[in-house]
Amino acid sequence: MGMSRDGGWYPLVLSADLEPCTVVGSVVHGRELAVWRDGQGQAHVWDDRCPHRGMRLSLGFVREGALACLYHGWRFGADGRCVHIPAHPDLSPPGTIRAAPLRVAEGHGLVWASVQDAGPLPGDEAAKETWLPVRSLRIEAPWDDVARAIGMPDGHRAGVLDRDVEGRVLAALLPVGAGACMLHVQAAAPAEVERLHDLADWAQDVRARAEERAGQVFLAGSVA
Amino acid sequence: MSELVLHDDELDEDCYRVRLFLSLLGLQARRVAVDVVPGGQQDGPAFRVISPAGMLPVLHIDGQAVCGAEAALLALAHGRPAWLPEGRAEFAQVAHWLQFAGGPLRAAARMRRACLFEGAGDAQSDRRRAAVAALRIVEDHLAHRRLEGGCWVVGEGPTVGDIALFPAAALCRDWGEEHAAYPALRRWVRAVRALPGFVTMPGIPDYG
Repeated sequence: MGMSRDGGWYPLVLSADLEPCTVVGSVVHGRELAVWRDGQGQAHVWDDRCPHRGMRLSLGFVREGALACLYHGWRFGADGRCVHIPAHPDLSPPGTIRAAPLRVAEGHGLVWASVQDAGPLPGDEAAKETWLPVRSLRIEAPWDDVARAIGMPDGHRAGVLDRDVEGRVLAALLPVGAGACMLHVQAAAPAEVERLHDLADWAQDVRARAEERAGQVFLAGSVA
Repeated sequence: MSELVLHDDELDEDCYRVRLFLSLLGLQARRVAVDVVPGGQQDGPAFRVISPAGMLPVLHIDGQAVCGAEAALLALAHGRPAWLPEGRAEFAQVAHWLQFAGGPLRAAARMRRACLFEGAGDAQSDRRRAAVAALRIVEDHLAHRRLEGGCWVVGEGPTVGDIALFPAAALCRDWGEEHAAYPALRRWVRAVRALPGFVTMPGIPDYG
């Protein structure tokens, strides 16, 4: 895993895209994660594997403050411990049955997880602004190529950009695998709707150019 | 309305479009199963009498046989302005997305069929890219809609445009496209799932 000046923190999803009582998958350098938010609004990040049969927990659902596996309905509470097994409703599951939580932080409009020793959350400069979510999009190109292309401060996965677009933008990159990443884009408040549309278009343009450099062209309607 | 009859394949997403819309409208149809895999009945002479091009589904409505999902959706939506807007601008947008669902987005249904029934793997290919590109067009549209506070494909509520596009988004995991890459689709799929009368099909989880 490449070292970065952002310590071990990775920007998984825009906070606005993780609604209460929902779960979504995410991938950091090939490590599959389940990202979910409980009814109190707290975000959780676990390895995306049910301790029971290895089913991906990100395919499950949130019920009564716990993440339920789609396969057999085993439920896991905020601390990762199994709290309910539908086939044995009277059983109090032993504490050894538990999912594997990672450290989570929420800040600058993003849900972050640490997959290695983590220092403070990156983004001192970002803390000076309020950020409006624009969108996240997947790019089939290496994250560091996208980082260079958009002028991300050297060695960082997240940073405040002043170039390419009018006004300040908080961009954050999640390395999904060797040749793919997610780009999260936010605009400094206040921003008119037109500006948000422009930034969404800019992100699509970043995607198109990066994928062209990577030799990955996605063209709808091109196959009969 | 006389009895509705639907010639239907449980695993076919085009048939699901119509089953879903019937359920959202609170309508019942008598279902006649067509054995596509492995039977290939859609290519047999008996079915070709009903649907000359072998298109599924076929909806019998008011004494007419209407072939194909987009046509059946339109036939059911006729006279229901909430689902098929009457104003020209919104009608045009719904028409645009119906055409898209029956055109470029077919690549997603073909990828799914290839993966489920023909042993296609998850290697990159031109047809996979074309399917991903079509899904991205819907994702990009919904991401923009969200910036102006919109949740649906057209206007302030669900239309037949949403129903036409829905299965490709909800079923993309069948051919290896993860919802993690499509936050706007994910949010919209949840909104469709929350509609009164929503029903699933194999491949779309029922959380019970």
